[in-house]
Amino acid sequence: MVSIVFAGVGGQGVITVAMIIGRAAVLEGKNVLMTELHGMAQRGGKISVEVRIGDYKSAIIPGGTADAIVAFEELEAVRNVAKLKEGGIILLSRRKIHPVSMTMKNQNYPDELIQNELNKYTMMNVEADQVALELGYKRVANTVMVGAVYSTGLLGLREESLITAIKESLPEKVWKVNLLAFEHGKRLLPVEAASSL
Amino acid sequence: MQLDPLLGPEGQTEFLLGNEAVARGVYEAGVSVATTYPGTPSSEIGDILYRLSDRMGIKFEFATNEKVALEIAAVASLGGLRSFVFMKHVGLNVAMDSFMSLSGAGAKGGMVVFSADDPSMHSSQNEQDNRFLGKFAKIIVIEPSSPQELKDFVVSAFDLSEEVGHPVLIRSVTRISHIRAPVKLGNLREKREWDYRKDTSYVLLPENAYKAQTSIVNRLDKVNSSKFRDRFNIAYGSSSTLIITSGAAYNYIDEALQMLNVRARILKIGLSFPLDMEGVIQEIERADTVVFIEEGGPFLEEQILSTCALRSINRKFHGKLNGAVPTSYEMDVDRVVGFLSKIYGIQIQTKNPVPNIPVREPVLCPGCPHRATYYVATLAMKQKGIKHPIAPTDIGCYTLGYYEPYGLGDFCFSMGSSVGSSSGFAMNSKEKIVSFIGDSTFFHAGIPALVNAYHNNHNFLLVIMDNSVTAMTGGQPTPESSPPFKRVDIESVVRGIGIRNIFSMDPYDLKNSLETFKKALSTDELAVIISKRECALEVDKKKPLSELTIFQIDQDKCNQCYNCIRNFACAAFYVEDGKVKIDPELCDGCSVCSEPLVCPFNAIEEVKT
Repeated sequence: MVSIVFAGVGGQGVITVAMIIGRAAVLEGKNVLMTELHGMAQRGGKISVEVRIGDYKSAIIPGGTADAIVAFEELEAVRNVAKLKEGGIILLSRRKIHPVSMTMKNQNYPDELIQNELNKYTMMNVEADQVALELGYKRVANTVMVGAVYSTGLLGLREESLITAIKESLPEKVWKVNLLAFEHGKRLLPVEAASSL
Repeated sequence: MQLDPLLGPEGQTEFLLGNEAVARGVYEAGVSVATTYPGTPSSEIGDILYRLSDRMGIKFEFATNEKVALEIAAVASLGGLRSFVFMKHVGLNVAMDSFMSLSGAGAKGGMVVFSADDPSMHSSQNEQDNRFLGKFAKIIVIEPSSPQELKDFVVSAFDLSEEVGHPVLIRSVTRISHIRAPVKLGNLREKREWDYRKDTSYVLLPENAYKAQTSIVNRLDKVNSSKFRDRFNIAYGSSSTLIITSGAAYNYIDEALQMLNVRARILKIGLSFPLDMEGVIQEIERADTVVFIEEGGPFLEEQILSTCALRSINRKFHGKLNGAVPTSYEMDVDRVVGFLSKIYGIQIQTKNPVPNIPVREPVLCPGCPHRATYYVATLAMKQKGIKHPIAPTDIGCYTLGYYEPYGLGDFCFSMGSSVGSSSGFAMNSKEKIVSFIGDSTFFHAGIPALVNAYHNNHNFLLVIMDNSVTAMTGGQPTPESSPPFKRVDIESVVRGIGIRNIFSMDPYDLKNSLETFKKALSTDELAVIISKRECALEVDKKKPLSELTIFQIDQDKCNQCYNCIRNFACAAFYVEDGKVKIDPELCDGCSVCSEPLVCPFNAIEEVKT
């Protein structure tokens, strides 16, 4: 049984990542629940998708019980920490998307506040954007993240299932680069860190 | 990507969104006609049927509003076809007039009305519980709890509707319709043949309506049999504490009990009206404490406690009526643990507080034409010396104009209410009234209100923000969309009413729009601006990658006047140590910010990529 919060900002593809993992669980005949909230904004609003694999009925993760937060934006990682269980981990693809209300007030992104909060938890940076750029295809950053999440062993899912789920979720012409992205993502976290979880 | 999972064979398991499961259920049930007006959290059902209706053999259409949608579906049912009409909870208010008459006419082909309620108002103006409307309209009410049940109950609801000859309301909520879970697909039922015969009960003039009341009672009586109860209700667990629950609220109870390490007997009700009251009372008689946990309500609680009162059944009852269960907002495991711990008398630890960090409010997308319209509107009013305009607004993405820096939103109740309320303001206020409505909302409920305003000689300026789609719900077509549909032209509609002061503008063209807006503000009778520019997300869908352009700020030219961030406030701007920058991944390339009316120093320039 595993509960993960996927957090980011509308337009970042957070839902696609959660979908791939959910599909992989279904392929293994597991029960999986995923919340998918659509607020007022089509782009730029906060998004959090919760995924639970195992014998659950509630798709909403109770406070303090999530095994991990997988975040695609720094502020959104912090916004969801109340869901994290003691000893839970944060995987963060470092990206700053400034809230408009802060920009309007001429404020910098709240780096210090974020770092202070994140320091309270086990946090791993996932250089998903950088890897994607190296692969020459910016949009595969999310698949890099899928690989990184898989490498923690938290999902309890087989690699083949994730690969099939990636194929089921994406058009055939981008399979190759996405499978490569997954492969790179798998090797992104320090080996000791990944296996100690 | 594989073949469409919604068309998959019986026995296959797919990872479906609740609303996708509904669409599959509609397909399995042999529905012939389906209609809707898009509204979150029900919108995806329409997106799927729009895409797959031909292959599913369903006649599907986006109706102008929910009332029209319901009437189309009602006729299909009376003609012997299975028909399905779906909407968000407040959409049922729009359909209410005809919805109230449904029970009088009954159903020949199965008829199911689907309402997706939105507790906690993730994207709505209230959290009304439409089970009450079902009971009020004397229509059978069914409540699923999960995506699998959404699909299964849609099929069972059609069977039930045909067996008793009565329409059924299915009540979903956000946390069922927008949950994904494995759903096992079922077999396909045969479709019915169109077999319409005239019947006096379809004409609800007083004589026929009088007779219909008896047949309504007779049909609802037929539902009170164990045959139907067993299809929808389940009970399990042994304890002297009985929890009566339904819908999404059910999903949180097992986990909450586990966390508290206590037991309860659970009665999960799927057929909420008419209730299997005998079965419920039997359960209550075996318990000494009874807790009602519902999403919304108290619906089951009120019905059941009325019966208990009549039969002098006294237990320790807890629910929304005695304040043990909170009355507002959606349930989750944490909330259920919170109130159950008090009922069971257990101390619980308080959870981690949420850190105090900056909010991220919903914003108009980069490139959104509404931003340009609002920018021009505020500028035009400033230049005309209009300091305190009254700005009624409406339901759509553009409701976000309420937020700073535009601050244009003084009234918003429901679809079309910008125009109706403008008549009310114009009747009494001395301030300039400038109201805002979107194209789809205008067609939905704005037109009768505009006829009223013209006819009664009310003076205000209505801005119709025409982006050619129903954008907030995901880009569904509007009456302006064509082909294959016939195009309805907004300007012709406005002109047809008799309104003479009609102005058109392209909001991306700030300079001309500003002049147009000022001219429209100068008229001293009813005036309409049609601000037309396609939704930026729709344009992006069609734009090849090679045509992507983005803008950046030349820091040497930037004078740090901050007009761009303070007054235009595109979501792609950000500030670093006092310097304004543009996030290249967010910029839509619309170029509006590069116009001198936003950046008088010409510091915002196109980047060649």
